[in-house]
Amino acid sequence: MGKPQKVKDIFMKTITYLGSGFSLLFLTITMIFIFSNGFGLISFGLFTGDYHAKYYAGRPASVECEGCEVTDELKGYYSSVYGIALYDDFDRAGNVVIKVSYVHENSPLLNMLDTNNPNQSISLKVDDVVTRVAFFDQPSALTRNGASMMIQSMDQSTEIRELTFSTLGGGIRGSLITTLYLIGMSLALALPIGILTAIYFSEFAPVNRLTNLLRSFIETLTGVPSIIYGLLGITLFIPITVRLNLSQGANLFAGAMTMAVILLPVVIRTTEETLKSIPNSYRHASLALGANYTQTVKKVVLPNALPGIMTATFLAVGRIIGESAALIFVLGTAVKDTVRVNESSTTLAVHIWTVMTDEPSNIELASSIAFIILIIVLILNIGVKYMSYLINKKLRGVV
Amino acid sequence: MRKENVFKIEKLTVYYGASSALQNVDIDIPEKSITALIGPSGCGKSTFLRTLNRMNDLIPECRITGNVLLDNENCYKNGYDIIGLRKRVGMVFQKPNPFPMTIYDNVAYGPRCQGVKNKEQIKKIVIEALEQAALYDEVKDRLETSALALSGGQQQRLCIARALAMKPEVLLMDEPTSALDPIATLKIENLIEKLKEDYSIVIVTHSMQQAARISDYTAFFYMGELIEYGKTDQLFSVPKHKQTEDYITGRFG
Repeated sequence: MGKPQKVKDIFMKTITYLGSGFSLLFLTITMIFIFSNGFGLISFGLFTGDYHAKYYAGRPASVECEGCEVTDELKGYYSSVYGIALYDDFDRAGNVVIKVSYVHENSPLLNMLDTNNPNQSISLKVDDVVTRVAFFDQPSALTRNGASMMIQSMDQSTEIRELTFSTLGGGIRGSLITTLYLIGMSLALALPIGILTAIYFSEFAPVNRLTNLLRSFIETLTGVPSIIYGLLGITLFIPITVRLNLSQGANLFAGAMTMAVILLPVVIRTTEETLKSIPNSYRHASLALGANYTQTVKKVVLPNALPGIMTATFLAVGRIIGESAALIFVLGTAVKDTVRVNESSTTLAVHIWTVMTDEPSNIELASSIAFIILIIVLILNIGVKYMSYLINKKLRGVV
Repeated sequence: MRKENVFKIEKLTVYYGASSALQNVDIDIPEKSITALIGPSGCGKSTFLRTLNRMNDLIPECRITGNVLLDNENCYKNGYDIIGLRKRVGMVFQKPNPFPMTIYDNVAYGPRCQGVKNKEQIKKIVIEALEQAALYDEVKDRLETSALALSGGQQQRLCIARALAMKPEVLLMDEPTSALDPIATLKIENLIEKLKEDYSIVIVTHSMQQAARISDYTAFFYMGELIEYGKTDQLFSVPKHKQTEDYITGRFG
């Protein structure tokens, strides 16, 4: 080996290492950014909680708390008169709040008369946010005074006039449910149509100028910005759902239809590639055994294409989870806690858009959602790989 | 004893697009014997084989003139039942191509496609076919495992069993041993010799020793033409044509 050849090799090696080093570095930075910003807000309550806080005001029916002496160490400050513990914290939007960390089972605050609806009984729960405690004999205790001051005032006062509190809010349950609905509905539309189209193109379509043109069209569609599909949805699918009396405006049906159109080129392409990669020897063997072409496709070609079709499905799910531009039009941007298929709601990705366009924008919550999206995609990826592995094992006996 | 002819081919010409792969082939294939097709690569012997069960139909630019008579009925007449033809004329390919399914499902594939639903009946057919292909003893304990885990020779015998499960009259073999080692080849050759008691076999082979060893009749193709056709021992000992002699003595090809 000559010297110039050696230099060339070292040069090639160096730029290869540099290239992969850079991409790894930036991907790691992205992960660290999302992780460090978003991890603080990850909790069980984030998944199950409402986005919109509910506000309550009430007056305790009694004053005394029987046996509310607690010796255990509690988070924050404890009031033995009312049997609750409060502590200073931040809510999911980053504001200073006073949160409930403990409510004794005999606490009078579990049975309060609702100020707005006197026949209704309301109760304070752990993780609720106490914003104001008003008394008859002294000034109100407010959030800005801190948890210690609030507990002190409650213990000193004879009676609470009104306790104002709210649920925590900022949860993503609604958006999570919408995302799952959208995945299910879009796949239900896109997969059958896409797979059948791919089968037609790969197995039955004559090879001529028209089918080649159609194929190029489909490939071109993958490059259309998704906001254009959003416009299609707003001018075509929303009117259709309105005409069918399914909805009054933006809704999940229109969202799923729009998503299905976005997914079709991906599904068709990936499935067709898979079908083409299946050796012709399988088809010939089947035909030579007196099977007709439909039987061949159904019994030999499709089972072999299953891992590839699952990859297509996975790509499609990733696309649904990541889509935001098109859905802002057809599905809306208002976060909903109760998801209805005939109303507007937001997916996780649009939820990020919503919290980032709020004043002030909430980068922590956005990062948390991004983190959750990453985890969902990771789980799906592993799931698909595992299922492909199982199918391969069953079909081929070896992997 | 003169044997009946199962195939009678008259003036067969096959075109791929504008060029012809076979010209004016006249040949009779006798039943319950082995007919070997030999000749150099590209001489048209595989094309000829594939006209017998109309596998050439899969090639869009392929065009065929002349008659291929199976039981005095032209396979290429309009409205001929191709599926029925392929049931009667089975085929084994050059490379073992079992489906990526279990051994059992591979053999059961053909009967199932024909609509046989009865499980007992399918099981009987599968076991019978595997026994005929001399594979049953080797795989009887693992019928439900993947066929792709078998060795190359076993896979090829599985493909033969799969074809036999259709109970064909004719078995076409396109260089069935070219991808196999000598021991596996020997097993397949023994199997083929045994099978000729019940089936008419047409085999394409590149190995003249193989043709001489197992076949009853040999056809020598060259440049798309049938040069010589006759009893194997005669063709190999006293070839009538110069080209045949050159080929079998290894002077070209």
